[in-house]
Amino acid sequence: MARIVSLFKSSPLNDFLIPFRKAQNQWVARYIIIVFALIVRSAVGIGPYSGEATPPMYGDFEAQRHWMEITNHLPISEWYFYDLQYWGLDYPPLTAYHSWLMGKLGSFIDPSWFALNTSRGLETADLKSYLRITALIAELAIYIPAVQMFTRWMGRYYRKVTTIDQTIISAAILYQPVLIIIDHGHFQYNSVMLGLSLLAVVHLLYDNYCLAAILYVLSFSFKQMGLYYAPIFFFYMLSACTWSSDTHSFDLQRLISIGLCVIVTLGVQIAPFLIFGGLGQPQQILIRMFPFDRGLFEDKVANFWCATNIVIKYKKLFTSEQLKAMSLALTLLGILPSSLVIFFNRRKELIAWCLASCSMAFYLFSFQVHEKTILLPWMPIVLLLNEVDPDVISMVCWFCNVALFSMWPLLKRDNLIIQYFVLGVLSNWLMGNLSWIRRFLRMIKLPVKYRDLATPVLPHNWFWSLVIVTSYLAASALHIADAFVQPPRSLPHIWIIGNVVLSFGCFMLFWLWCNYKIFVMCTTPESKLKTN
Amino acid sequence: MESIQKPHGHADSSPYNFSLWNIWVASTLLKILLFPTYHSTDFDVHRNWLSITKLLPLKDWYFENTSQWTLDYPPFFAYFEWFLSRLVPPLVAADGCIKLTAQDGEYGYLTVIFQRSTVIASEILLFLALQWLIDTSSSLKEKKRNFVIACSISLSPGFFIIDHIHFQYNGFLFSFLVLSLVNAKLGNYVSCAFWFAVLLCFKHIFLYMAPAFFVYLLSVYCIKHRRFSTKDGILANLKLFLFDTVIWSHLFQLGAVVIAVFAVALGPFIYYGSMPQLLKRLFPFSRGLTHAYWAPNFWALYSFIDRVLIQLAKRIPGVEKFLCLFLKKSYPIDYSNANSLTRGIVGDVEFLFLPEIQPKHTFFLTLFYEMLSMIQLFINPTYQRFLGAVTYCAWTSFLFGWHVHEKAALLMIIPFTFCVVQDRKLLPSFQTLTAASYVSLFPLLFGSAEWLFKALITFVWVVVFQTSFNEVCHFSTTRTRRVVALDRLNIIYVFLLIPMCAIIQMIDIESRNFPSLQKLGFASLMTYSVYCAFGIVTSWNSFSWLYFLDDSVWEEKKAI
Repeated sequence: MARIVSLFKSSPLNDFLIPFRKAQNQWVARYIIIVFALIVRSAVGIGPYSGEATPPMYGDFEAQRHWMEITNHLPISEWYFYDLQYWGLDYPPLTAYHSWLMGKLGSFIDPSWFALNTSRGLETADLKSYLRITALIAELAIYIPAVQMFTRWMGRYYRKVTTIDQTIISAAILYQPVLIIIDHGHFQYNSVMLGLSLLAVVHLLYDNYCLAAILYVLSFSFKQMGLYYAPIFFFYMLSACTWSSDTHSFDLQRLISIGLCVIVTLGVQIAPFLIFGGLGQPQQILIRMFPFDRGLFEDKVANFWCATNIVIKYKKLFTSEQLKAMSLALTLLGILPSSLVIFFNRRKELIAWCLASCSMAFYLFSFQVHEKTILLPWMPIVLLLNEVDPDVISMVCWFCNVALFSMWPLLKRDNLIIQYFVLGVLSNWLMGNLSWIRRFLRMIKLPVKYRDLATPVLPHNWFWSLVIVTSYLAASALHIADAFVQPPRSLPHIWIIGNVVLSFGCFMLFWLWCNYKIFVMCTTPESKLKTN
Repeated sequence: MESIQKPHGHADSSPYNFSLWNIWVASTLLKILLFPTYHSTDFDVHRNWLSITKLLPLKDWYFENTSQWTLDYPPFFAYFEWFLSRLVPPLVAADGCIKLTAQDGEYGYLTVIFQRSTVIASEILLFLALQWLIDTSSSLKEKKRNFVIACSISLSPGFFIIDHIHFQYNGFLFSFLVLSLVNAKLGNYVSCAFWFAVLLCFKHIFLYMAPAFFVYLLSVYCIKHRRFSTKDGILANLKLFLFDTVIWSHLFQLGAVVIAVFAVALGPFIYYGSMPQLLKRLFPFSRGLTHAYWAPNFWALYSFIDRVLIQLAKRIPGVEKFLCLFLKKSYPIDYSNANSLTRGIVGDVEFLFLPEIQPKHTFFLTLFYEMLSMIQLFINPTYQRFLGAVTYCAWTSFLFGWHVHEKAALLMIIPFTFCVVQDRKLLPSFQTLTAASYVSLFPLLFGSAEWLFKALITFVWVVVFQTSFNEVCHFSTTRTRRVVALDRLNIIYVFLLIPMCAIIQMIDIESRNFPSLQKLGFASLMTYSVYCAFGIVTSWNSFSWLYFLDDSVWEEKKAI
């Protein structure tokens, strides 16, 4: 008997999609949410991007455009060497190939967009539209289908929810603001990396290990940040080889085929560099990808090192080598629980949880973290919406809001203020988190139908409710202070530091909660979990 | 569907939530995201009007001509701008929002935010009016129908494109039309007249619909429809006809309301003696027949035929001579001002072969068709017929009017949305009309930034409301004589709009690389207007057919 989700019952998302719940119309709903997701993204894309009109260095938008320029005009051997001071290529080869392709296609429209050296800092409206559309197509092709496939699997085999509810859940995931605002506002191609990882997860769910391995390798060779998921993928596949369900013994054949897939996928990508550039190329690529000499952290970011740096001045107390060792040790400690759990207790519903915990540990403790890196833990965490559990959903919503809030300094610099607030309100409202406002609207006789508030804004646990309410109040206070109060001259970054500390506290608590949930889940027998 | 089919199912128990609240929140959030989009000179026009009403006394409003964007809307709109100008915060006023200059206004992002917010805020009235339409439905089925109408109007890509990107206050203005139509539906004829008079004092383009309102209110409210029997003798009948046909009290009520509204609107200007100036501003006849970009109406086709004849005459020997004989032109034709394809960009279009069109021609054509439709409305004044007549009036004036702008397409789409649910036979022409008119708005936003947005929003609107109207329309009660193939053609027409837009966009994109394509700039605009005009004219034909010949569509429907 199919369970009927009552979680989103009074949410606007439910109101919009329920007219399509007849069996013959359900496919329409799936496409409707995609088209509206595209409309929202294209509307965000009309706004500004990072580094708009800020010469001489501009921002990430210019970096992406610049890579299209150099990959199109230089031989492959120079890609990772050319003028490194001006946005030198520092992403893995797949990004380089992607840039080459986008540059080629764009040159059919207007070659001047990517002319070598003369096109630096070019900011025409048409160029902007072109790059925006490429980001949109990348997301449409990779990330959006991956989300739908994941929710379909979870709905069908794990939580047994109806098709229309699966659509509602995937809509809740697709309208989350963090990725929208970074990819289509700030401008990057994170959806490619995240989407490939998510596709790899989907193939793990369907037991296609080789395909999963290939997709995951492609994911981190698009953006090295994808390696935050590596321990979970590694231990999951290792576990699948150690305790194979087919042979009930060590499955060497599977191990070898997975290994071959990884090596071949990497080899194919590196080969052009080796052939045309010689043996020095891989080393240069690695140096560019992992700039360990850039220090513990650069900007203000809501992780352990930056937040505690307020009291303990790490950079004065320790040498760079010591700091590296410390961060390595803490990171390893942080990823240990999730890795062990997924190795010894390989269950498909745990994948998202372990990915969340593992990548969060990287975000909190590792070296050289950027505020946009929160996207990595964010992706598996929004997948937790598939746990049709009101407490989990309210925690996930809380995390998403804090994640968006943690990027406020960055977005404010990009002038994406309107987009920040609109998308924040939109996603929360769609999921019914703002339904309590209806009560007040009804009091002043606005045409609002009152129905029971089935969607809990807060979890049942009083401690977490207190934490969530406090953090929201503090975040609002920081926003108000940021808008109206001039910071004292001695502490010009006080509001940003407040943002960092608050977000770090929330992330840390969320990470602990996540590990606790993993512990509870792996100690509960599987049969009991399913009937729950 | 189970709860829907319950005859007296309580609205709250149905899975549908017949509230526009969600639609309003979602669309408003989307509209806020559109703040940074391109805005047309209309933005500066309205900014200038804010400045005029803020800085000058009322008697000078219609005389002020520092800027080229003089006030040329009726008084209520000027009062509206006056009200808005009171709300301008000092910060925004200093930003360049309130300033009378001869040049284009120099304003910052604050002004944009302020003016765009006023559009969003004033549009709330439209949502309230539509919610009222839903709430006054008599049955659950009708409620569902009205809900679809309300959603399709409030989410119309027309409002997104014209109001929230291009910049105008149509959503606000159309709320008065909706109020007026809903009042007519409920039988509140005095309120109907009141709201329509208010609407006229906001924007006089709605005068095109006035005959339908006038005849309907006169016939349904002020005249007793009765059968004359021969038994009573001619004299008695004549007496009845002369002295007991008109319900004078009703006529006076209507007249008083309308005159009162106009008095409030025009009174101050009559007092200051600026009426002649006001009328001069409202009805300028100095403009050309068509705009630079031809609105997709009859004259677009007419101009297109002239273009084709020119090309034929130039390329095929002998054709010119024949045409000159046939069309009574002097031979040889002077091509000097017809030579370039860019000729259309200059406002005035001169026809080389076809006869020149004067304002009076367009006026008589419009009047002829409008009067023709009034006959049946007068004889049989049902609410359904009235909606049809309003649509018909707006449509003919769009097709044959002088200096029509493509934005005026909303004028016929909104009343048509009200009457399309009456019968499924109307659906094909509704689909063609809406798809063609919304696509014809695309050239308004010529930049590449908004291209994806306008295309997606129009596409999804057409798909969603095509299916929703299909579900809620009344089935035809009589056997239909329409040919099925025509409906199929209609769908093909709508789908061909997609490749048309795509190809024109590709040509536009590639024209920067290939100079030969640059010459096609005007040709691509012409393709838009001619193809859309073709759809609008053919759907007008099928609408006219139904209006004049199929009475079953316009009968009072039993409430189901």
